[in-house]
Amino acid sequence: MFKSGHVKKIIFVLAVAVFCACSKSSDKGGETPDAFDKTAMLTNYADNLIIPGYTALQQKLQVLQTASDAFLAAPTIATQATLKTAYIDAQLQYERITSFHFGPAEVVLLDVFANFSGNLNYNFNTAGELTGFSIDSVNIEKNISTGTYNLATMDRASFYSQGFPALNYLYFGPNAIAKFGTNTAARVKYVKDVVTRLKGLTDGIITSWGTYRAEFISNTKTNSGSPIANMVNQMAYQMDLLKGPRTGWPFGKQSNGIVFATKVEAYFTGNSVALAVENINALKKTYTGGGSGKGLSDYLVALNKTQLNTDVLTQFDLVSTKLSAIPDPLSTSLTTQAAAVEAAYKEIQKLLTLLKTDVASATAVQISYVDNDGD
Amino acid sequence: MMGTKSEGFFSFGSITNRGAALFASSRQNVSIAPLITFRIVFGLLMFLSLIRFWYRGWITSVYVTPQFHFTYMGFEWVHPLGDLGMHLLFLTIIIAALLITLGLFYRIATVIFFIGFTYVELLDVTTYLNHYYFITLVAFLMIWLPANRDYSLDVLLQPEKRRKLVPAWTIGILRFQMAIVYIFAGLAKLDPDWLLDAQPMRTWLPAKTHLPIVGVFMYKTWVAYLFSWFGAVYDLFIVFFLINRKTRPYAYGVVVIFHIATAIFFPGIGMFPYVMIACSLIFFSGEFHERLQRFFPFYDHSVDETTYRFKYTPSVLIAIYIFLQLVIPLRFLLYPGHLFWHEEGYRFSWRVMLMEKAGSAYFTVKDKAHTIEVNNAEFLTPLQEKMMCTQPDLILKYAHHLAATYKTRGLVSPQVYGEIYVSLNGERSKLFIDTTANLAAEPVSWKHYNWVLPYSKQDK
Repeated sequence: MFKSGHVKKIIFVLAVAVFCACSKSSDKGGETPDAFDKTAMLTNYADNLIIPGYTALQQKLQVLQTASDAFLAAPTIATQATLKTAYIDAQLQYERITSFHFGPAEVVLLDVFANFSGNLNYNFNTAGELTGFSIDSVNIEKNISTGTYNLATMDRASFYSQGFPALNYLYFGPNAIAKFGTNTAARVKYVKDVVTRLKGLTDGIITSWGTYRAEFISNTKTNSGSPIANMVNQMAYQMDLLKGPRTGWPFGKQSNGIVFATKVEAYFTGNSVALAVENINALKKTYTGGGSGKGLSDYLVALNKTQLNTDVLTQFDLVSTKLSAIPDPLSTSLTTQAAAVEAAYKEIQKLLTLLKTDVASATAVQISYVDNDGD
Repeated sequence: MMGTKSEGFFSFGSITNRGAALFASSRQNVSIAPLITFRIVFGLLMFLSLIRFWYRGWITSVYVTPQFHFTYMGFEWVHPLGDLGMHLLFLTIIIAALLITLGLFYRIATVIFFIGFTYVELLDVTTYLNHYYFITLVAFLMIWLPANRDYSLDVLLQPEKRRKLVPAWTIGILRFQMAIVYIFAGLAKLDPDWLLDAQPMRTWLPAKTHLPIVGVFMYKTWVAYLFSWFGAVYDLFIVFFLINRKTRPYAYGVVVIFHIATAIFFPGIGMFPYVMIACSLIFFSGEFHERLQRFFPFYDHSVDETTYRFKYTPSVLIAIYIFLQLVIPLRFLLYPGHLFWHEEGYRFSWRVMLMEKAGSAYFTVKDKAHTIEVNNAEFLTPLQEKMMCTQPDLILKYAHHLAATYKTRGLVSPQVYGEIYVSLNGERSKLFIDTTANLAAEPVSWKHYNWVLPYSKQDK
């Protein structure tokens, strides 16, 4: 039958290789320490940044819900003022968790339902079209008047009619208080539904992290969909949002200088710059792992990329400074403080390049939100 | 007529007066068995690869979703066929792959597979992979090879078509193709970055510390050097050990280990390792394959000496093919500048896993009345954008597309400028192209692109 000389030889080579691999592992044992402990880094992220971040959001949404209920029960300037503090507080906390939009948050699509940025693949050139951080007030009013809506609907009108943008309009939009005078019950119900959904999504994410945590800290790969790749990709994505929807696009970068003042984030509360500053500071915190010595920045240092790390940190601070130099409300500053916006925009682009090109390359992470073969 | 033991022009037999011997031996007849195994394995692998591609949703994400495609020069007429069309095309190729394995309607199946697969590959440069190119070439060769003349449904239906012997060149050409892949991949690694800096291994390996047993070594620089040097030696010499009858079984064991290891370390390279493991079987002798095939179900043990004869041996065409295969990977020599930076003559040259390159690209479109910054995500998928950022010919194609698009949006003779930063092999990102060059006015050509800034290596 099959003269197996060849097969024996092939098997011999395979056996030798397996033997070598095994013996290598036994003689080295644990004597060669890891240059960098990625599991410790991921544990730091999960326990000190991500889970506390979502928990804080949950708490602040609870405060918001209480203030919201008080406002809905008696919509006055006084209750609105209390509500505003709670609302701003909650949205600022939201900015602190934007780089953790993966795993449980991605499953429920928190970013589109909580604070829709319009996605990146849209032309920001038509005033009428809902892009960037627009608010679909027409659809919101329609939902209220018809009473038939499903906030889980997967379309742009739905995204633009809930979460922080919808609350921004319903709480602080034009004649917000007066509008509760007509069709009160339906309007109150809609607001409550929006708040409940936002809180429900957050609650669900925290519950899911209970089980996802183990998976997160044990996966030290860097391929597409791995925790490390997710964080690097999210930071790059947030930088893209900062450059586009948060500043550059309403500023008119895509539209030959035509400003779209109403398309800034949180238009009616007028704190877009504060949100952007919070966003960039949170990104820096993500990058450094909260300064714990167990962050992506420390990983870069372990990879002998000290200079790159220093440059990235400097650039983070520069972006933060330049953004802070723009006075809120951004909707006005886009026109009156154009030089300051332009200056911030330039530094944002530099940081985006550093993260998307240098940091991603150094950590062998692909900036690509899909997986695919390569060579 | 006896089936000769010589294995065509890749035997170590006749090193002296090689030319004549080579020509003569390539015309001798050898067992058809290696071709049969090759046909079955290749067809099966293609069948599974294509189903995997479909299953992962890549037909849609790569060929349906994108609104713009980077076509190859001269193949601008190749267009995707829409959602249904692309899936039907894939279905056709998948069926063709199955027919190749079964050896049913073999000639038609190979023609359909070759045309279909090549059409798909020509749709978008950003999906270029060396092993797709390899598959295209092998599919082309298989059209002309009598790989269905034994152990096939074609022979079952028409027993008189069965042949046990084929001209040695029909197997030799496949071995030649394998040799081209390995040796050029090896030559490409004789590069200072690869050998002296152990790049890109030094960048990629620290990302592999999750691997059991070997993971703890991945931060070690010497491991990156070991990988780089071993990879170079392997690619350069494995073919010679596969050709030599005595070393062949050991060499094949090394092939299996090497490619399984690359599959474990770099899962992103997809089917490439399996393609190489499967196709390397062609180096085994007719005897080996005959013994192997005895294990196949319904194998016909009857022996005869029927010989497949070509009406005429296409010697000139084979010579041209071989010449092209030798020359195409060397065309980079005609271009000035650093190959990895400019990538002129980089594709179709078996440069696999050779560099880590990433970039960010910002484009501005202008005319007298407009200055508009381009949002790449509006036109490109993330994958396309990633590939475009670092490859000059794609940058230019995209810039021309932008000029055309913005013309329809009301700009008068739009100018397109790019501010692009590229990082190569772990170095810091640098400005890639001349920011003052109006890309809309730069022609697409085979000539050196002067608007790409020269490369300068810097300290890390």
